[in-house]
Amino acid sequence: MAATEGSPSSLMCDLTILDSLTENSIGEMADSWNAFCVAAEALLGGDGDLLFAPDVALHLRNICSHGLHSLVVEHFLCSLEDIFEKNGASRFWKHFDAYSNSAVLDMEDPDQQALLQDVLHKALEEISSEKQYQEKCLLMLVHALEMCSESNPEEKRYSDAERNNLFSKYQLAVSSVLMVSLPRHFPDVLHWYFKRRLEELSAMMATGCQYDNKLHVDDGMDLDCRTGEMDIDGTHLHRTILGNNKLIRNIGEVVRDLRNLGFTSLAEDAYASAIFLLLKAKVHELAGDEFRFSILESIKEWIQAVPLQFLHALFAYLGDSKSFGSPSSGLKSPLASHPSFRCYGTGIPSEGLVRWQLRLEYFAYETLQDLRIAKLFEIIVDYPDSSPAIEDLKQCLEYTGQHSKLVDSFIAALKYRLLTAGASTNDILHQYVSTIKALRTIDPAGVFLEAVGEPIREYLRGRKDTIKCIVTMLTDGAGGNPSGPGSTGDSLLEELNRDEENQENSSLADDVNTDDKQAWINAQSWEPDPVEADPLKGGRYQRKVDILGMIVGIIGSKDQLVNEYRVMLAEKLLNKSDYDIDSEIRTLELLKIHFGESSMQKCEIMLNDLINSKRINTNIKATIKQQPQPVADAGEHELSLDNLGATIISSNFWPPIQDEELNIPGPVDQLLSDYANRFHEIKTPRKLLWKKNLGTVKLELQFEDRTVPFTVTPLHASIISQFEDQTSWTSKNLAVAVGVPVDVLNRRIYFWINKGILAESIQESGDHTFTLVEALAESGKTGVNSGGCEELLAGDEDGERSVASVEDQLRKEMTVYEKFITGMLTNFGSMALDRIHNTLKMFCIGDPPYDKSLQQLQSFLAGLVAEEKLELRDGMYLLKK
Amino acid sequence: MATTTNVHHQDSNPNTPAVAAPAKQTVPTAKTVDTQSVLKRLQSELMALMMGGDSGISAFPEEDNIFCWKGTIHGSKDTVFEGTEYKLSLSFPSDYPFKPPKVKFETACFHPNVDVYGNICLDILQDKWSSAYDVRTILLSIQSLLGEPNISSPLNTQAASLWANQEEYRKMVEKLYKPST
Repeated sequence: MAATEGSPSSLMCDLTILDSLTENSIGEMADSWNAFCVAAEALLGGDGDLLFAPDVALHLRNICSHGLHSLVVEHFLCSLEDIFEKNGASRFWKHFDAYSNSAVLDMEDPDQQALLQDVLHKALEEISSEKQYQEKCLLMLVHALEMCSESNPEEKRYSDAERNNLFSKYQLAVSSVLMVSLPRHFPDVLHWYFKRRLEELSAMMATGCQYDNKLHVDDGMDLDCRTGEMDIDGTHLHRTILGNNKLIRNIGEVVRDLRNLGFTSLAEDAYASAIFLLLKAKVHELAGDEFRFSILESIKEWIQAVPLQFLHALFAYLGDSKSFGSPSSGLKSPLASHPSFRCYGTGIPSEGLVRWQLRLEYFAYETLQDLRIAKLFEIIVDYPDSSPAIEDLKQCLEYTGQHSKLVDSFIAALKYRLLTAGASTNDILHQYVSTIKALRTIDPAGVFLEAVGEPIREYLRGRKDTIKCIVTMLTDGAGGNPSGPGSTGDSLLEELNRDEENQENSSLADDVNTDDKQAWINAQSWEPDPVEADPLKGGRYQRKVDILGMIVGIIGSKDQLVNEYRVMLAEKLLNKSDYDIDSEIRTLELLKIHFGESSMQKCEIMLNDLINSKRINTNIKATIKQQPQPVADAGEHELSLDNLGATIISSNFWPPIQDEELNIPGPVDQLLSDYANRFHEIKTPRKLLWKKNLGTVKLELQFEDRTVPFTVTPLHASIISQFEDQTSWTSKNLAVAVGVPVDVLNRRIYFWINKGILAESIQESGDHTFTLVEALAESGKTGVNSGGCEELLAGDEDGERSVASVEDQLRKEMTVYEKFITGMLTNFGSMALDRIHNTLKMFCIGDPPYDKSLQQLQSFLAGLVAEEKLELRDGMYLLKK
Repeated sequence: MATTTNVHHQDSNPNTPAVAAPAKQTVPTAKTVDTQSVLKRLQSELMALMMGGDSGISAFPEEDNIFCWKGTIHGSKDTVFEGTEYKLSLSFPSDYPFKPPKVKFETACFHPNVDVYGNICLDILQDKWSSAYDVRTILLSIQSLLGEPNISSPLNTQAASLWANQEEYRKMVEKLYKPST
C-alpha cells in the first residue's frame, strides 16, 4: 500500500522510461537491484556498525539513475519491517512470556518485582536500540537518496516533507508490528509496573512528608507548599524531588521508550489506571469507617503530593527528552495529557497538569461520595458526631451532582435496616430526626429530604405507637424512653426552642426585606430548584426544612398530636402531688408557638386548673385554720386537712377520665367531704365531685419490728387499710369492703403480696384468703424488696391509667360509627363503601364528628367483617344475619 | 344541604308554593332559621335512635335528605307478626315537630289498621300528635300497634275480622308476607 501512495511521480514517467528500455539496460537494472538487495540485507542484519552503508549507497545510485528510487524505498521499508518483526518484536515479547499468567503479577515477592522491573527495562532498552539502529539505516538511505537527487538535476530535491513522511511510515510500521503481536498480558505488566512505582513514590513522599513535618513543626505550612500552584521552589520539595529523581527518571525512560514504540496510549492507560487505583485505595484508607473527621482536604493534599508530583516530574522529564526531536511522539494520546511542556518552569502549572488535577479530584470526590453514600445509614446513626463526614459528602455532591444516587441508595438502606418490625418506633423516629438534620446540611431546600423521608413517614403511619412516641419525644426531656438514646427528646425540645428563635429572626429578616436594595440582592442570588424538585411542593423558600413540621407530617394532622399530648399531659398532671408545673408550662408555651394558641387551649385550661388548685387548696386550708375544728378527737386517726391536697379539674376540658367505684376508709372519706364542703362555701355555687380512684396516697405501715413508707394508689391504700383492724380477709369479703369487683381486687392485691406485706392462701372452698404478714422474719426473702419502697406503683397495669387513652377514645368513636353503620344497613339492606362513607359524613355529626378517611373506614369495616357483624359481598356491605 | 331541604319542603307541602310564591318574598329567611332547627332536631333524634339501641326498630335518613327516612320494624315476640320485618317510609314536614311526619308501610302488611297502600291509622300520627314524640316513639308505637290493633276503626276489615282467630291470622300473615331483599 505504501507503493501506491509514495509513487505518483514514477507512474508519470513510466511510459517514457519504457520506450527507452533495452535488453542491456534491463540486465543492468536487474544486476544493480540484486546487488542493492544483498547490500541492504547485509546492512540491516549488521551489528549496528553501518559497514555496508557505502555499498548500499553505491547500488542505490545505480538504481536511481534508472528512476526507480520509489521502488527502493518501498523495498527498504519492507525489509526494515521484516527484520524488526523478526529481531525486535518477537525477542521483545519473549521477555514477558514468564508473566503470561497474571497470577505471577500479584505476588508480593520483592525479588520477583525487581526481576520484572529489570526485565522491562532491559527489554525496552534492547528494542529501543534495535529501533535506533534501524532509524540510522533509514537516515542513511535518505542521505543516499538526497545525494542521488543532487547528482540528477532533473529530479526535484528530496524534500523534508518526504523525509518526514518516510519516518512516520516507518514509525507506523513499527507500531503496527508490535500491536499486531501484542500479547494479552502486556497491559497488565505495564499496569503492575506503574502501580509498584507509584506505591514506591507514595511511600517516599510519605516519609519525606514526615521528615518535613519534623522540620516545619511550628509553622505548619509544609503542606501548603505542596498544594497550590505546584510551587517546586519549596526547598524540602526539591529534596524530595531529588530523592525521587532516579525513580522518576526510570519511569520517564520507560514511558519514553513506550512512546517511541507507539505505545503512548497504552502507557498512559497503564499509569492512569495505576494512579486511580492508588487514589481509590488512598481514599478508602483515609475514609474508612471514620466519620468524625473531614478527610476531603487531606485527600486533596495527597493528590497534590503524590500523583501530581509524579505527573509533574514525568512531564518535565519527557519534556526534556522531547528536545531530542524524536519524531515518534507525534502520536497524541486520546487521554488529555499532552501537556504543553514549554509552560513548565514558569511556575504556572501546565494545562495538562491542571487537567490531570481536575480529573483526579473529580475521581476522588466520586469515590468518597460513593463510599459515604454506601455508609450513609451509619453516618446518620452517629449523626451529630459524624457531621464532618456529612460536610464532606455535601462538597462531593456539589461537585458531582449525583444526588439521586444518594436518595436511591439511602432509601434502600432504610427499607432494609430501619423500617422493619424489629426496630422500635423510638429508634425510627430518632433516625428520622437525624436524617432530617443531616440532609438539611446537604440539601437546604429539602428536595431530597422529601424523597428520603417519604418511606419513613409512610411506615410510621402504620405503627400504632407513633403518635405516643412523638409526643413523648416532644415533651419529655431526656427521660421517658429508656430504649432509645436519651438525647432524642432533648433534640426535639431544642427544636421547639430553635423554632422560636427562628421566628424572631425571620421577622427581623422581613423588615430588612422591605428594603429595595436587599430585595434586589435577594433576587440576584436566586437559584433555581434542583431538577429533582417536585413543583407541586411549593417553591424553594416555602420548602424550608422544619423538623417539627415533618414530624407532624407523619401523623397527618396536628389535632391528633395535640389530642395525644393532652392525654399525656392529663396523666402527668393527675399524678403530681406538688403543683409544680413549670416544665409543663414551658413545653406548652413552645407548643403554642408552633401549633397556635387555639389548638392548645384545652391544655392551657388544664394547666390553669392546676394553678387554681394550688390557690384553692391553700385557701381552704387557711380557712380551716381560722376556725379550729370543734370536734377535737385527736384519736388514733389523726388526720387533718393538712394532709390532703386536691387537684381540681374542669372535667369538660380534660380528656375522659377513668371512673371506678371505690370505698375509702371512713376517716378519709370524712376528710374528703369536709374539703368538698369548704370548697362549696368558697366557690358557691360550684361543688366538688371527688374522683376517689385517682391520685396518690403516701402511707406508712407500722409493724412490730419495722416501719415501711409507701406511695400507692388510693385503691391499694384502701385495701391495706382494711387490714388495720382485721388481719385476715377472704377475697370476697375484702372486695365488698373496698367496694370493687373481686377480679379487680385480686389483681391489685398482688402489689402487697409482692411487697411481702400480705400472704395469700387458698381455702378449700376455693376462696382466697389474705393475711397480714406481721414480722419480717416470715418473709425474709422479700425483705430486700420492701426496703426502700419508694418506687411508685410497681406492676403498673393497663388498669392503672387515670385517663382514657387516645385509643380508648378512638374505640369509643368507632362504636358510634358502628351503630350508625348498623342503622343504615338495617334500613337500606346493602351499601357500598362510598355510600357508607358519604352517609356517615352527612349524618354522623355529633361530637366528635365523623372525620375518618375512606381508607380508615374501610379498615374499620374490615374489622367488623372479621368480627362477623358484617358481610362483604360484591363490594357491598350488609348485615350478617 | 339547604337546597335539598327546600326541594323537599316543596314536596311535602304541595299546596303552598306554586300559588303563594310571589307574595312570600320575606318568608325564606324565617324558613331557613326554621330549617336549621328542624335539621338539628332530626340530627339529634338520629343520634339518640342510633345510640339508644332499641331492638326491633330502626330508621335512617335516605342518602342525601334528612327529611326522608327509611324505617324498619320487627314483629314483636309472642305476636302473630313474630319473625317478620317491615319497611316503612317516614317523611318529615318542614315544620316538624309541630306537625307529625307522614309514615307509611313500604312492605305490604296485613293488619287491621294498615290499608293496601301502606297507610297507617294511628292516632298519634294524626290528631293526637305532640311535639314530644319523636322517631323512636313513633316506631315503638307502630311496633306495638302490630300486636294490639284497634279493631273498632279498621282500614282493613278482612284483617279486623280475622284478628279473633290468631292461628288463621298468623297463616295469613305468613302467606302475604313478602320480605324485602
